[in-house]
Amino acid sequence: MNHRGGFALIKATWFSWMQYRSFFFVLAFGWMIPPLVALFVWSAAAGEGSLGGFTRGEFITYYLVLVLVNQITYAQVNWTVGDIIREGTLNHWLLKPLSAIYQALSSELAGKVVYLIFVIPVGLLLAILLKPEIQTTPINFVLSLVATLFAWGLRFAWGFWLAILAFWITRADSFLALQDSLVFIFSGMVAPIPLLQGSLQQIANILPFRYMVGFPVEILVYDLSNKAILFGFLMQLTWLAIAVLLSRTLWVKGIRHYSAVGG
Amino acid sequence: MRYLKLIKVFIKTSAQETLMYRANFWVSLLHAFLNLIVAVLALVILFGQTENLNGWNLSSTLSLLGVYLIVSAIRNLFIGPSLEALVGLGQEVWNGQFDFTLLRPVNTQFLITFRIWRLFSLIDLFLGGAVLLYSIFQTPQSPNLLAWLLFLLALVAGILILYAILLAFTALVFWNPGYLFTWVFDAIFQLARYPLGIYPVGVRIFLTWIIPVGVITTIPAQVISGQTGAPIVFLILAASVFLFLFASWLFNKGIKQYHSASS
Amino acid sequence: MQFSKIEVKQLHKTYHVPQREAGFKASVRSLFRPIYQDVPAVKPLDFVIESGEMVALIGPNGAGKTTTLKMLTGLLHPSGGDINIFGFNPSERKPAFLRSISMVLGNKSQMLWDIPPLDSFFVLAEIYSIPKEEAVSRINELVEMLEMREILKKPVRNLSLGERMKCELVASLLHRPKVLFLDEPTLGLDINIQNRLRHFILEYNHRYGATVLLTSHYMADIERLCSRVLLIHHGELLYDGQLSGLNQMIEPIKMIRVTLSQQNGVNPKPDWLPASAEIVSQEKQHLHLRVAQKEAAACTAALLHNLPVADLIVEDPPLETVIDRIYQDGDL
Repeated sequence: MNHRGGFALIKATWFSWMQYRSFFFVLAFGWMIPPLVALFVWSAAAGEGSLGGFTRGEFITYYLVLVLVNQITYAQVNWTVGDIIREGTLNHWLLKPLSAIYQALSSELAGKVVYLIFVIPVGLLLAILLKPEIQTTPINFVLSLVATLFAWGLRFAWGFWLAILAFWITRADSFLALQDSLVFIFSGMVAPIPLLQGSLQQIANILPFRYMVGFPVEILVYDLSNKAILFGFLMQLTWLAIAVLLSRTLWVKGIRHYSAVGG
Repeated sequence: MRYLKLIKVFIKTSAQETLMYRANFWVSLLHAFLNLIVAVLALVILFGQTENLNGWNLSSTLSLLGVYLIVSAIRNLFIGPSLEALVGLGQEVWNGQFDFTLLRPVNTQFLITFRIWRLFSLIDLFLGGAVLLYSIFQTPQSPNLLAWLLFLLALVAGILILYAILLAFTALVFWNPGYLFTWVFDAIFQLARYPLGIYPVGVRIFLTWIIPVGVITTIPAQVISGQTGAPIVFLILAASVFLFLFASWLFNKGIKQYHSASS
Repeated sequence: MQFSKIEVKQLHKTYHVPQREAGFKASVRSLFRPIYQDVPAVKPLDFVIESGEMVALIGPNGAGKTTTLKMLTGLLHPSGGDINIFGFNPSERKPAFLRSISMVLGNKSQMLWDIPPLDSFFVLAEIYSIPKEEAVSRINELVEMLEMREILKKPVRNLSLGERMKCELVASLLHRPKVLFLDEPTLGLDINIQNRLRHFILEYNHRYGATVLLTSHYMADIERLCSRVLLIHHGELLYDGQLSGLNQMIEPIKMIRVTLSQQNGVNPKPDWLPASAEIVSQEKQHLHLRVAQKEAAACTAALLHNLPVADLIVEDPPLETVIDRIYQDGDL
């Protein structure tokens, strides 16, 4: 693998992205809105009292952290890789002496930095305005960081295998839209997972989506038991392994298919 | 008459373009149902925890959701796709294809408003209507004819406001093709899913007076559930006409700017 | 017939562009106090194009050709001067005016991407209020002329560049414009298609007496189609007249081709050749020279006198060479 080339590419991509930062700020703004709406809804619902065991301040904390985690883990590679396969730009990738995953990773990392330049100040501003309440331990903080990292890997790999379905299916982006709906319900975005009713909560615990967004937030904001944290990490790593395996297999098969059909 | 005929041709052509990708029908059907399920589920989860959200119960919030779905469906049916063809990187104003639009012997604003139709949005329109009717039949006393009439007026006013805002934002592209205000608006429009009353005062003022997104859905929903009456309806009707005139003026000013700008 | 005459008086365009400097400080400053710069794109132009004429607008990139075309079509408002196209001022964009002009842009498409061209044509017919039967017969006629029947039912995205340009032409001519503006219509097409399109444009001009104003980088387009050229450089009209007269613009030269009866090197340049003569190339018995027109006779005589000449041809330089020299000399 050509690592130096990879880093150069990441740097170059980042510079070119800064050129279009207003474009990415707008995208980042768009992704912030659904959790913010949920924040307003739940804090209005909690009023001065509490709801399902959570106070207004706790809802605010939960969602502000969620906005941040959602932004860090959001895998836009979902959309770009599919377009690249459909439009035939993939040929440029394949002609370079560089593993294609670098192309995906470079836009991913470059994007992350630009988005965070926007989201962190906005998040801080909201925190000052809305006064969240937070109490957490250093251990939980570290665990939450680790979980965020895994969450990002999981969301990236998961998005990647869905995106490369574009090799076979012309409208693979519909799967991505389906995924976004599932993420919205089951990742802790529309409501914190502990507030989901009965079977919905059980489904959320099994599906991978909670481990892409909600889980790291819960570690930080809620007092999860050790057992719950351990279960969470196990689920997260299992799904991560599945997603990586799927991505690799489908990529190899996809490239073979692509060269056979000729794009 | 000629313009009606033109609209007919545009619809026919768009239908044809859509049919080129037949798989899209099933995909769109899937998306429409998914959106609906997600939206309803979000409300069910919310009202599973509380009975009352600042004076809104499940059925009145469902009415609001119905209005939101109807308004967004109409936006996605033709206003959105038509205007979006102008805005953004690689779009008409950016790549100069707008020249062809200007060379047509037809009113430019008419052309850019009606020429592209996304007929799959009719599914969303239908579903939105169904949600609205369902929620109305849930309430003990059904609205009378006058209420329905006022509701329709309020809905028309809301759609006109939406169109005016989108047109005004689109017009800004003529000053700088990098402006993406329509995208920002799309993000903000999601706030209209919930009643204006749940938001903090600052947000509420913003959504009433600066970017009157809240008005577009909240007032028709209030009218149909009998929370507000004729005076407000006529007020927003007047406001919508004013906004429409302002947006048209700005758009024509934008075209003038395009005519004198550097190529 | 005066009905499609184009008259341009003192037409000029100055762009008012914000100056952008490099660096963060400068960009912050420009946010509050932008500095504008006036860039003259077209300096006062005067010309008249008669009905049915085919005229080429030539000049190097950035000379102001496209700006001029855009002003003539009403897409760009002039900073001053008058344009009168059969009684219309293009800037007003009156429907009656728009109905009688058309513009083809070599690098942009007006076709709908996903559907067959035939359907795009019908949309345009509706926009230009052409009745259905009339539209059908016009499409048939144009399609015959361009020999493109077989591509009518394929989606545009599956067509080749040349096929797409044929569609562009049909789309632009459907409403029978009296004036046709062609901006680089043969850009990127192969020779075969280029010839076909030229032939078509000529035929269309003959059949309907349409006025054609064309820009192109391919001299062949211009030589074939236009008897008259307008040469624009740095926004100024440098030349207006016959294509063949362009040579007189610069110091006129002649090219001399000599075939020798035996191989006979003339390298380096012998002193018996006139001062302005230059050897362009020399290969076996073939010799190629360039010489100032006024010394051409002397040069020919000297060649005949000093070399075993089997054949000798004196000719005008190819147009490309002339244009090239004009572009390079710039101010002349």
